[in-house]
Amino acid sequence: MIAAHDPSLVAVSKRTGQVLAAGADARRMLDRTQADIILMPRPQASQHHPRPRPEVAKRPSASPGLFLTLCIAMVLLTMLSQQSWASGAVGAMKSALAPWQGAVTNLGGQIDRVTSVFGDVAALRTENQRLRDADEQLRRQVIELSVAARENASLRQALDLERSSGFRMVAAQVVGRGPDGLSRTLEVDRGTADGVKVGMVVVTGAGLLGRIEEAGPHSAIVQTLADPRTQVEVVLVNSNLQGTLKGGASQMRVAIPNPSGVAVSTGDWVLTSDVGRSYPPGLLVGEVVNVTHDAGSTTDSAALAWVNDPARATFVLVITDFAPS
Amino acid sequence: MRWTACAGLMIAAALVQVALGAWFDLFGALPNLVLLVVAGIAWTMGPRAGIAWACAGGLLLDLSSPGPLGPHALALLPGAYAIGLWARDVKQPNLWMVALTAAAATLSYSSVLVLTDRLILHEVVPLWMAARLAVGAGLLNAALAPLVFGQVRSICLGTISRRAQA
Repeated sequence: MIAAHDPSLVAVSKRTGQVLAAGADARRMLDRTQADIILMPRPQASQHHPRPRPEVAKRPSASPGLFLTLCIAMVLLTMLSQQSWASGAVGAMKSALAPWQGAVTNLGGQIDRVTSVFGDVAALRTENQRLRDADEQLRRQVIELSVAARENASLRQALDLERSSGFRMVAAQVVGRGPDGLSRTLEVDRGTADGVKVGMVVVTGAGLLGRIEEAGPHSAIVQTLADPRTQVEVVLVNSNLQGTLKGGASQMRVAIPNPSGVAVSTGDWVLTSDVGRSYPPGLLVGEVVNVTHDAGSTTDSAALAWVNDPARATFVLVITDFAPS
Repeated sequence: MRWTACAGLMIAAALVQVALGAWFDLFGALPNLVLLVVAGIAWTMGPRAGIAWACAGGLLLDLSSPGPLGPHALALLPGAYAIGLWARDVKQPNLWMVALTAAAATLSYSSVLVLTDRLILHEVVPLWMAARLAVGAGLLNAALAPLVFGQVRSICLGTISRRAQA
């Protein structure tokens, strides 16, 4: 009875859920034994759910101080880490990353091999690669024969097999490539512990590839012919003209001083020359595919096709007993 | 958890870039996966996280490139900061915004790298060649940015929501 007078009770229709009466009236309705009516506590004000407060997304801080601090820190790091006393630590850190790069490179190679099994296109690509390799081999043999014939004809007998093939070399696997598009470098898994030093010349079976730019204990970075900073003194086999090769990401170009107007033809082979003694002479560099002759200039410009595309190199040879002058 | 996910993503991007980057070579231009991940983080988590991860990713790139440590980290910072600042005012970026900012960040990255080469390292890459490569890389990065952004967003926000549920 006490409960019946409790104004906190309400009578609710079971069918519609509508509140029909409150307090004593509710109790009286229940006494009339209406089957579809139940008594239940009146919702208290405190039981009402508070209105959800709209969520305001927290705006991230602009942090200009942190930005400037990091910029200054990176500039200082750049300047300090190129000091000679820091080169050992920097080289060691770079070498530490090389095995991981090697693992990912190998994984990538395996994925490449597995995926190339599927489909005619992949099979044709493999076949094309095999033919390309064979073609490169044949081209190299042709150019070696051509060089030998030219030098024999001039009675110099300067084919000098010992010089062209008698170098001591260290074989190295390519484990990474330069991360930005500006400097075209390769990272190899041999370093100063294997006798590799800065400035050494790097080749493959097809010809010249580049030069060691940095050497850590167990890895080294090769500046390839595709690097825009590369400059090589070269000679054209057929026209016997000298020139200077400049590296390029997609194509190498040779500037050829040609005051006498000797015809430079496409298909001519380009080798490293004796000039400057920066590289061993006679290394194959490329094949002329396009010649530009400006009527007002005494210098021709020739575009070269790769015989030794750095993007495809997987194994390289570092010449350890050639000292550039 | 979010830190671990971002670190894993960054290391994976750096390793794939230096080990398999040549797969994506298009007319001499290379995409920059680390830059794309940094841009994604800046879009998702704001400027503070963006510049922090720009430093981390940049140093990873510095470890696999010739020269001193720092230039790549320095080059990634302005782009990450600018994207993070813009992201504060954009509730839900669309794919065009993501692609556009990736291209702009690539140009800023290349410009800072070339400037660093000239001012600090005293090495000169021909400007016309640098410009051509930067524009090519910018287009590639813009094309890849929506894909990478989706992955970064799902990984970073996924770990946030899992943590909230826990």
